[in-house]
Amino acid sequence: MQSLCWTTRFVTRALRSGFSTLIEPNNKPKPHFVSVVCGFPKDFHRSKYKLGKYGEDAWFTARSSVADVIGVADGVGGWRSYGIDPGEFSSFLMKTCERLVNCASFNPQKPVSLLAYSYCELLEQKKPILGSSTACVLILNRENSTVYTANIGDSGFIVVRKGEIVHRSEEQQHYFNTPFQLSLPPPGHGDNVLSDSPESADTLSFNVKDGDVILVATDGVFDNVPTKLLLDTLKEVEGEQDAVKLQMTANTIALMARSLAFDSEFMSPFAINARKNNINAIGGKPDDITVVLATVVL
Amino acid sequence: MISEADTSLTSSEDFTTDDGVLDEIRTSEVTHQEVIINQFAQKVIDFSSQYGSDTSISYTAYNITGRPSKFPDYGDFPETFAMRTYGRWWDVAPSTMQELQPSNFLDIPIHDFIVVEFEEFVIPQAISIYETYNPGAIVKIWGYFNTTESWQCLWSALPDLYVERRPRKFTPPLRRVCQPTKIIRLEFNHIFLDYFTEIDGIVLTGRKCDAREIADSRKSRKGPILRKLESVQFKLRQIENHNDILMEFLANDLGNFMKEAGLVAEDKEDNTPQLTLKDLPCEILFKILSYLDLVSIFRTAQVCRKLYDVATDPFLYQEINLKPYWHSACDDLLISLTKRATLLKKLDLSWCGLFHSITAPVFKDLVRTCCKNLTHLRLNSCKFINAGCMEVVGSVCVNLKELCLRNYSKSPSVLNFHCLKNLRCLERLDLFRTQIDSDLLLMTLRYNPTLKHLNLGICSATVNMDDVAIQISRYNRSIVSIDMWKSHYLSSVGLLALSQCHDLEEVDFGWCLREEASPGESLKILLRGCPRLKKVFLAAIRGINDRDLENITEFCPNLEQLDLMGVLGITYDMCYKILSKCNKLQLLDLSFCDQIDEIQTALWRDVFGVSIKRNFVPPDHPSFIN
Repeated sequence: MQSLCWTTRFVTRALRSGFSTLIEPNNKPKPHFVSVVCGFPKDFHRSKYKLGKYGEDAWFTARSSVADVIGVADGVGGWRSYGIDPGEFSSFLMKTCERLVNCASFNPQKPVSLLAYSYCELLEQKKPILGSSTACVLILNRENSTVYTANIGDSGFIVVRKGEIVHRSEEQQHYFNTPFQLSLPPPGHGDNVLSDSPESADTLSFNVKDGDVILVATDGVFDNVPTKLLLDTLKEVEGEQDAVKLQMTANTIALMARSLAFDSEFMSPFAINARKNNINAIGGKPDDITVVLATVVL
Repeated sequence: MISEADTSLTSSEDFTTDDGVLDEIRTSEVTHQEVIINQFAQKVIDFSSQYGSDTSISYTAYNITGRPSKFPDYGDFPETFAMRTYGRWWDVAPSTMQELQPSNFLDIPIHDFIVVEFEEFVIPQAISIYETYNPGAIVKIWGYFNTTESWQCLWSALPDLYVERRPRKFTPPLRRVCQPTKIIRLEFNHIFLDYFTEIDGIVLTGRKCDAREIADSRKSRKGPILRKLESVQFKLRQIENHNDILMEFLANDLGNFMKEAGLVAEDKEDNTPQLTLKDLPCEILFKILSYLDLVSIFRTAQVCRKLYDVATDPFLYQEINLKPYWHSACDDLLISLTKRATLLKKLDLSWCGLFHSITAPVFKDLVRTCCKNLTHLRLNSCKFINAGCMEVVGSVCVNLKELCLRNYSKSPSVLNFHCLKNLRCLERLDLFRTQIDSDLLLMTLRYNPTLKHLNLGICSATVNMDDVAIQISRYNRSIVSIDMWKSHYLSSVGLLALSQCHDLEEVDFGWCLREEASPGESLKILLRGCPRLKKVFLAAIRGINDRDLENITEFCPNLEQLDLMGVLGITYDMCYKILSKCNKLQLLDLSFCDQIDEIQTALWRDVFGVSIKRNFVPPDHPSFIN
């Protein structure tokens, strides 16, 4: 962990927001992510904005000396009926991943172990944190310009290069609308609760080139926005290093997802999938939306 | 003839004196601009205890580094540094240990410490500590100065009796020092704390020193006056027949000289012999000196020959405690003690030896020479201990009744605990935060049937607590206290085994039993089998429910301390029942028990006179609004 030292004559302020590029752009080690975040909680009109969360979704971005890491997590809503706030688990998972990255106590080639450590930290909290969530974590390892990913559940990522999708995560589901999930049930209910271990995550690793666009998002985006539309939006920001322009694109994607989610007549990817499972559904799926958009700068 | 060598002042103005006056002088050669920098801690070098386990980042010492994460919020946060103990509760528990050599003067007893390192050397001007929960435990701040290779106390004060429960950026006034440092030590005294204290960060403010200044001040440790004296040479003037002249003076003129100088009293009328300290018999002198602390005994030895003989007698060195002198304990001291302490029975070298002030060979020599009859040995957080040291301890100190080896988690391969297999009469074994081989531990338990106190808190994940519990139930039936805080693999099997130990007065199962739904029946059998239980800690055993508490009220009439932190399933009614039936109860920890609220606990504190602990809830939190 680096200590911070500054002279009283030259005070610099660090802006804490999704604009990771605004802090002394010349000092950033290569390669790195330029990342931005946007999203909407499902109950957007009634909720207060909290950093790191959109409703029950959570996200994080972090930088260590050897890697850049981004991730999202989607809390499983079913816990609400047991009096447990579903957003707590996902938010804690992501915040702990961020802390672990910041103190560099993780293996930059194993995002699964990062998730596993973060999950173990849950057991060390005085205040019991219960619930479950999906998770998707990407690590950009600076030494070999490789991205290592781990995905549990139905959040996911898309990598776009030269106008085409080159990598994409697979949805992990036990059955329809029941994704794989990391969970911590209340004591005594361990047998009744779906609980997948971090080792059951799908892992993928690939080399990245300068200008690659990576979108990490929760199922609120993938269930409502057709892939073609996502691709068209993403290929416009290939190679974009200006965070402001990236932010505009992220906002666009989030807004698209939001509008389509509440469109009751649109044949969304969710509806298409439902029909494949013999459920007659139409329209979007109102859900929390989280978009983390990053480009690779080599 | 006094000859004088050529002296010239070097350009460094780092005087060693502490008097603040001199450092205002600057020669014209010192032209660098004064740059004041603030730094957060970069690294933790050493600490005596932490709440979290070593593999975690929650409530651990690591969190004191870097920028504060939670300040100015107030509350019990995992992103801060918290220690294992607070208040006087551990001092009144059955497992409490007394300090050795109580005559050692310590103005403020120190319970815990932490040593942090910063990135840059600075001349310290101010240190600020961000306290985010129950402030007020910091009592001393030390700085380590590489130039003199010594620690200096920069600030000290008595612990505050009452500090407001608000977040605090604590900036005590430091003593002025003129040497660069980047290592700071905080020392804590918990006695007045209501609950755990938590620290979020430290800021060191000082004038930055460049490398040249540091190198210069290392070379010239002495000030200009001393340097000049060193360059001066004295030549003795030889007088002829100086021996005869001296004899003549002693025979004839000494008496007059003494009278003139007033060193001898005028002849009195009565010739009663004056009794001096030296005329007292040895036994009385021993008794008097036995009330003195170690430093004073050493000083007494310098007074005169007789007192030297008395003060270096092994009789006075049967109990040695160097923990209050951790800052100046060094090899030379141990060598002196090796000569004097041949009857040594109890030795405490805890916290000594940081930065190689004590080395292993000297320690081994001490053990070989003096420790054949040693019964109590405390070596917590000693940096000089290696495998060879432990082997010597194991072969020489076979009569050990008490062995404390806390905080040896980092280098299990170096520490060869196989020395333990020679011990047969252990009564206390303290291995808090120490990695120990499972088989060795089980064997030690087997061969020490007199074991009364066992501390295995935060021991490594390789030790299976069920196996330990079964071994204890077989071979250590007279055990009085067991501490299994944050250990692994304890289950109902272990609890059932421990129910055979009817002398148990204290158990700490905090953060154990993680795989269980509820300890249920096994806990009931344990409580029933150990009616003498005074302290029962069940923190974060999430499966505990009202039925288990029912068993507590039924089978624990002597209960004095009960910890139920983080136990979700307990209700108001059951807590009320505990408070009414266990009338010796003094401490009840209900932090993070969501079903109990603040209004009830406030009422109970008044009615029952029990210290009930609750986690801090900000006043605008929904749970306050009933």
